[in-house]
Amino acid sequence: MDDQDEEIEVSAPRLAVDFVGVSKEYVIDGKPVKALSSITFSVKEGEVAVIIGPSGAGKTTVLNVIAGLEMPSQGDVRVLGLDLTVSTEQSLSAFRSANVGFIFQSYNLVSTLTAEENVELMMELAGWSDSGRNEMLTADLIGMVGLADRAKHLPAQLSGGEQQRVAIARAMANDPPLILADEPTGNLDQKTGLEVVNLLARLRQEKGKTLVITTHDDRIVSMADVIYRLENGGLESVDRPVRVRS
Amino acid sequence: MEVWRALIGPLGFAVRSLQCRGFHSYLAFLGLTLTVSTTTFLLLLGQDLASRLGVDSSMRSTFGISWLIFAYLVLALALISIVGLLSTSYLVSSMISQRMRDIGVIKAAGALPRRLLAYVTFEALLVIVSSCFVGGLSALLIYSSWSWPNLSLFKQVGPVANAGATILIAVPLICLLLSYMVASLRVKRIVGYSSVNAISKQLSNLDLQTLGKPLRINRLGSAFNLATRNVSRDRGFNRTLLSVGICICLSMIVLAGALVSADTSASYVLRAMPPNVMIVANGNIYNQYVSLGTSFSRSAPISPIDYTNASYIITPQNASAFRSIPGVETVDTRLITMGSITGYVKAHFASNQDTGENINTQIIPEVDTGTTQALIVGINSTSAIGDWYTSNGFLQGADAQYTMIAGDSLVGNIVQTPFNLSQVSAFGYRYDIKSALVDPLNAGRVLYAPVQTVQRTLGVNGYNVLLLKVRDPSILAAVSQMASSFDLVAGSQDPVLNSNLAFLNNIWSYIFLIPIFALVLTCGLLLSYLATNFSRRFNDYVVLKVLGANAWYRLRLLLWEAWGILAISMLIAIPVAWAISIFFLVPDPSVSVADLELSTLVSASALSAVSVASALIYSRRLGFTTVKDLKP
Repeated sequence: MDDQDEEIEVSAPRLAVDFVGVSKEYVIDGKPVKALSSITFSVKEGEVAVIIGPSGAGKTTVLNVIAGLEMPSQGDVRVLGLDLTVSTEQSLSAFRSANVGFIFQSYNLVSTLTAEENVELMMELAGWSDSGRNEMLTADLIGMVGLADRAKHLPAQLSGGEQQRVAIARAMANDPPLILADEPTGNLDQKTGLEVVNLLARLRQEKGKTLVITTHDDRIVSMADVIYRLENGGLESVDRPVRVRS
Repeated sequence: MEVWRALIGPLGFAVRSLQCRGFHSYLAFLGLTLTVSTTTFLLLLGQDLASRLGVDSSMRSTFGISWLIFAYLVLALALISIVGLLSTSYLVSSMISQRMRDIGVIKAAGALPRRLLAYVTFEALLVIVSSCFVGGLSALLIYSSWSWPNLSLFKQVGPVANAGATILIAVPLICLLLSYMVASLRVKRIVGYSSVNAISKQLSNLDLQTLGKPLRINRLGSAFNLATRNVSRDRGFNRTLLSVGICICLSMIVLAGALVSADTSASYVLRAMPPNVMIVANGNIYNQYVSLGTSFSRSAPISPIDYTNASYIITPQNASAFRSIPGVETVDTRLITMGSITGYVKAHFASNQDTGENINTQIIPEVDTGTTQALIVGINSTSAIGDWYTSNGFLQGADAQYTMIAGDSLVGNIVQTPFNLSQVSAFGYRYDIKSALVDPLNAGRVLYAPVQTVQRTLGVNGYNVLLLKVRDPSILAAVSQMASSFDLVAGSQDPVLNSNLAFLNNIWSYIFLIPIFALVLTCGLLLSYLATNFSRRFNDYVVLKVLGANAWYRLRLLLWEAWGILAISMLIAIPVAWAISIFFLVPDPSVSVADLELSTLVSASALSAVSVASALIYSRRLGFTTVKDLKP
């Protein structure tokens, strides 16, 4: 625990994510721009929630608010039982490093670290100081995403698909109950995108993680337990596919 | 539309590119401007000091305190010039490297290499020309406000006429030319890269040899591990280490050199005029000797006096009587007089080898080097109190009777090197010059000869000045009592010594401005380096923040990165600077360990403060970033 000073004790709520009347407003060039307007929705533990909608609908903002990267202008946000709106920057960092895995559309790997170091770094940020154990877990995760032979390569030496697989391994590194993915196949071709979709499906089936994913990819949408459609910052519709209901 | 079209050209490209790069453009401009202005200002200040201290002309000798000061100034200004030029080339090189990806993109888009070269070089030139112009102008303004109304722009310093004006024009111009050369070389290299490599900016900046060898130093934590990986994998690491190391080393030499030179010059004076010495002489001679002793630190003219007037002479018996006073350790008996002397270089053979194997031997006739007034001191070499810093030793009993030791102010004009060819004519006799010494007496315009020779020449049997080395100042009363019984005056030499030391301190306190500003210049270079690197890696820091690295972790990472490279540079640079300052900079140096420690402490503290401050600034800046600041 030498790197993160505090760890948030998380109880076991039924809801992993709970948005109540959440609005988010930005001020651009002195003018207020509404990104989210009074959204209310929830994601249960172990569910795969997919957020769809056109560009600029507010999908990424929802993920950022869930991760505690942005504060809502209005409304209540509880994630894994923690009220994010009253948390400090410090406790949000600790919360994020221990409980949230983030997969970005543009990967966002640390450019100076190799694939395995990027994964291991997440463990260090979570305060896991046993480097021997970390190395073992890293090797497992890198193997899981099929990059054992590319473990010692820098992000710039990897293809887009490989970088995204490293990002998935990194999102899993701190064994978080909640994984957020922002258009994870957005920058990938069909075949590579499929590999990523399969990996996400494994996360859900084998690890039982709660996933909140924004996407335009039908293959990911087909995995969803619940689909939220956003339009102009508002929640347009909620759809629970039949197989889940049955 | 017409305006838009008009802007598509080297100028339009450069202006828009600089506008788009905003913060980085300002940073490059600011760094370069600061370097040019500080270097120019320091050189202006240096020539101003040389001019004010009167060490600007006829520096033909390589001996003595004036030479020490002049040599230090020249060396310091030369080193500062190197630091300034190194800093300039580093900044320009970094500025161009930051454009590598854009250059690759434009090249990939189909721009002809020649056109691309012209566009990017023109963009760099805009920053360089404006920085050099503003830097030169700022230096002039700072110097003017510093020295107003005694500006020294058109005076001769050493061999340089109109030194100030020359510096003011030459330094920004040299910086401009150097920057242009570095920029065009760098751009040519980047344009020569394959577009793929140039576009992959992250890869091109990284050293791939260290991959797979992560450092695992758990005791210092994850932030340290990450910082070492970030820094060691930077392809420019060695170049940066070299640049920062050289600049730290040179500025340390300038700083430690100033301290060593100041200590050494003080020790020269102390050796010539040691403490706990009493002057005993007739009242008039006593006052004259004090005036001669302090002429080094005062510009008041020395009034003529008849040194050999019978009433001023102390008989050998009276001189011996002082040896009987308890606490008197040595009695240095002197016969001093002022006289006209003429210098010569003796006729000698000179051999030189021509292009073949023939050796031509020429007879060089005797040369008259000029005539001047100098103080001639007859001294008994066995009881001399001074322990002067000499070039070839002091007078010995075995020396020929017509042998002299010349004061440092005579060396280079009346007395020429090598000394074995140098002679001085005084009172109708020719004396061989054995050696030179550093002596504040009569401001170094002094010649020491065996006292018997001077007595015989002047026809005097006795002395006119006695210097008594006493165990402690309390002996003064007993000495004074005996002196008054012989109708003589006694007093401590310490006020003379203190006056000279205070004068030297005053000079060095002026000169110390130079090492302080040199340190500021090095701090500026470090700041530029840190700002460049932090800016380049900023996206990675934002990623870390997004992933959950807390503020303390981020600050520690920045601190390790900032201070790490500084620590390595200092570890190499400081011992080298110490060694050069102690062993190579000053002849027969007097080194105070406390001074060297102080110089190290000051340098290390200032540089560490810069690295900590830059880490704090970027950490704070990082605190304001959000996930939206992440770049794809």
